[in-house]
Amino acid sequence: MNHIALKMLMGDKGKYLGIVMGLTFASLIMTQQPAIFLGIMSRTYSFISDVGLPDIWVMDPKVQFVDDIKPLQDTELYRVRGISGVEWAMPMYKGLLKARLFDGRFQTCNVVGLDDATLIGGPPVMLEGKIDDLRRSDSVIVDIDGARDKLGKPSPIPGGKPIPLKIGDSLELNDRRAIVVGIAKVTRTFQSQPVIYTTYSRAKSYAPRERKLLSFVLVKAKKGQDLAELTRRIRETTGLAAYTQEEFKTLSFEYFIHNTGIPINFGTSVLLGFIVGAAIAGQTFYNFTLGNLMQFGVLKAMGTSNWTLLRMILLQAVLVGSIGYGLGVGLTALFGFAMRHTILAFKFPWQLLLFSGAGVSLICVFAAVISIVKVIRLEPAIVFKG
Amino acid sequence: MQIKYTLPILAIVGFLFAAYTVINSNQPVPVAKAVTEPASAPFKAFIAGAGIVEAQSQNIDIGTPLPGIVKTVVVKVGDQVKAGAPLFYLDDRDTRAILAIKLADLAKAKADVNVAKATFSDAKSLSDLAEAVTDRRAISTEELLKRRNVLQITKARLESALALVQQAEASVADTETTLSRLIVRAPIAGEVLQVNIRPGEFAQAGFLNTPLLVLGNLDQLHVRVDIDENDAWRFDKNSKAVAFLRGNRSFKVDLSLAYVEPYVVPKKSLTGDSNERVDTRVLQALYRFDRKQLPIYVGQQMDVFIEAQDYTPDQDLENHLNAKGPSS
Amino acid sequence: MNPAVRCQNVIKVYDTGGQKVTALNGINLDIAAGELMMLVGPSGCGKTTLISVIAGILDQDEGSCEVFGENLLNMRSRDKLNFRAHNIGFVFQAFNLLPSLNAAENVSVPLIINGMKRVEAERKAITVLEHVGLGERWTSLPSQLSGGQQQRVAIARALVHSPRLIVCDEPTSALDHETGRNVMTLLKDVAMHKDRTLVIVTHDARIFDFADRIAEMDDGHIIKVKDSR
Repeated sequence: MNHIALKMLMGDKGKYLGIVMGLTFASLIMTQQPAIFLGIMSRTYSFISDVGLPDIWVMDPKVQFVDDIKPLQDTELYRVRGISGVEWAMPMYKGLLKARLFDGRFQTCNVVGLDDATLIGGPPVMLEGKIDDLRRSDSVIVDIDGARDKLGKPSPIPGGKPIPLKIGDSLELNDRRAIVVGIAKVTRTFQSQPVIYTTYSRAKSYAPRERKLLSFVLVKAKKGQDLAELTRRIRETTGLAAYTQEEFKTLSFEYFIHNTGIPINFGTSVLLGFIVGAAIAGQTFYNFTLGNLMQFGVLKAMGTSNWTLLRMILLQAVLVGSIGYGLGVGLTALFGFAMRHTILAFKFPWQLLLFSGAGVSLICVFAAVISIVKVIRLEPAIVFKG
Repeated sequence: MQIKYTLPILAIVGFLFAAYTVINSNQPVPVAKAVTEPASAPFKAFIAGAGIVEAQSQNIDIGTPLPGIVKTVVVKVGDQVKAGAPLFYLDDRDTRAILAIKLADLAKAKADVNVAKATFSDAKSLSDLAEAVTDRRAISTEELLKRRNVLQITKARLESALALVQQAEASVADTETTLSRLIVRAPIAGEVLQVNIRPGEFAQAGFLNTPLLVLGNLDQLHVRVDIDENDAWRFDKNSKAVAFLRGNRSFKVDLSLAYVEPYVVPKKSLTGDSNERVDTRVLQALYRFDRKQLPIYVGQQMDVFIEAQDYTPDQDLENHLNAKGPSS
Repeated sequence: MNPAVRCQNVIKVYDTGGQKVTALNGINLDIAAGELMMLVGPSGCGKTTLISVIAGILDQDEGSCEVFGENLLNMRSRDKLNFRAHNIGFVFQAFNLLPSLNAAENVSVPLIINGMKRVEAERKAITVLEHVGLGERWTSLPSQLSGGQQQRVAIARALVHSPRLIVCDEPTSALDHETGRNVMTLLKDVAMHKDRTLVIVTHDARIFDFADRIAEMDDGHIIKVKDSR
């Protein structure tokens, strides 16, 4: 009977394509929109992932997310260092500073100050130059996206692409000279500002005079140290907030979830995609069943059980669902692939595959159920009503 | 018939591509390794602090007792000097001129003494002659008195001249002292760490922001460790301490306590900023170490770890409660 | 010998929007095994309802209808399905072939319902198609066949699982005169033997001469049964 079910499904190519396309569309929207959403949301904590090395971030207890800087006293670094279970603790400065560019424009930049000796927390991938070059006087490393775009020199042709910043070019940060010694690749951040790396002490001299300038203390736990235990110990000893890398990511992520309209916007479009997809696919599938009602009646009259008919319909639904799903996620992946070098945020975790799979399954089950109800209620006697 | 296979194959290809994208795009971001591995404490529980290296003697900012133009500087940076060895000379011409005057005065005073002596001996001989006459009628009483008085006067004059010589000698000695104060000498044996004065410059007496010359004894170095006042109670004088060189943690040295400055001072930011800010108070402990073990320079920063009692706040609280337990 | 079909006082009332329509009003009819019975009468006389009841795809409201000694009304639905699958073949006015299956596949459907393997069923289907003269066309889709050919495929489908009763609903109405007669000839030649009963509903007077007996119906009653042998 399965063969018959498949033949019935694929016999009418127009309807078959219609169902598959409806499901493909639904699957595409339910995958691509969340992928963009996740891409944007992952930028809220991309800085934390990029730094990577430390297990624990220590900061002011009132910090709400990664860009919400509430500086600490410098001595807190040594207090954290003195807590048992801490392998090392390093200072980090992070702040928005205005850079005066070559041509006199101003650009707000995210300045990151790394520990002078170890340069822990540096950019993950160096495209040009070395991180060690930060030890030269007045040296900074800029990220490639910033160097190409916002920090670039204006194009000689009006409206053309800016000339990228190169090694050896200089900027002014708060009236102090900074020389570019390296170009780094960093994951884009939520605000997409250029990122400038320098040493902690130099960052302090670039930063406006403030009594406190230490943004974060980066902590590495000793081997075998329970992180939850250590964060608790840091919190209780210093009175500061200490988060593991994952906790800090979650904190930043949730801040944006609760305080911006992004989740609602994307949630709406995902829901719309689901509803439209469900409507199209469900409608076509139901129409298909209705169109084949006489055939089901004949099969029923000839002694096919309801159970067999249900299996046939389920098989049809599973087949169109799988095909639509495969095409949908494939198209999403293709979309992501095509957009990989653009500013577009796109993140495709395996959970998303499950999510859209579940969504498509739901649509198929919905479509199958209304069809099955129709077929089960069908009186075989209709076969004689020409 | 093609559609029968095309769509499922496309779907499978699509799914595989999506799976590939998932696997490929979710590889963790590479993590930037530390340029040098940071130092980590070899103790289970410890106090961490920034230390700055100084000479055992502390660093002596050499000052001058007298202001003046520098004539010559006889040492250069890195010279080992003995205690009392001259470091630099101030211009002493005017003092020497004064000395010449004083010496001339002395000579004149001495000459005056001779005159007084001669006068005295003349008066004495005249007086002696008169006293030798036994016949009172041979010499008038008036004459005798006169000669006696002259003798008294010349004696007094001689004494005055002698006093003047003493005065002139003292005056010469004073000028010579001044002259020697124009030579600045090493108060201790040590090494010249800094020379900020050159011949022809004016050396000012009194406290200076930039010392004229810095001298220290580098045979034994000390590292001055700042301990946050919040951690000060955990500090134990007898516990072990280790210092790591910044930039290469394979250079480490055991420390032994020299002394603790019992007065808690406002922390000077040792972290390299030019404008020192006071943000907390720190207990300063000074540790000795063998300088041969480390390629280190005075003034360099080190990461210092001092072993301390284990401290977890809740445990502390628990102990506290336990202690209180029976009574409540 | 028991009749193949025995209907006693069968009553069927349809309830269409509050209005009760009596389709069968006390039908008594015996059909013998090996007989070709035609049910004739004007539209709405209840003949289609009657064969639905006989074929076991519609339950009557009152009376009993025994087919080969089994009272279908009392049967569990599962057994009833099995009974239909094994004992009854259907031929429809509109052929009701599955449009996406080729002739052999269409014919093999009753065998597959009865649990036969697909390959075997299609092999058997082709031999039956040869009997109806369409052995060469077994790969054709229904849309590629003429009306008469389609009805012959439908007859092959009704025969393939050797049912004891075949019910036909207006088998010739959609066909022209000659094709109709050819189909009837074929049906009579191929289908009829002593253990098989055919019940044909028709108002096509041109084929009355194929019947063993003709039952005339009107308003849910059987007016008269004419033996035309």
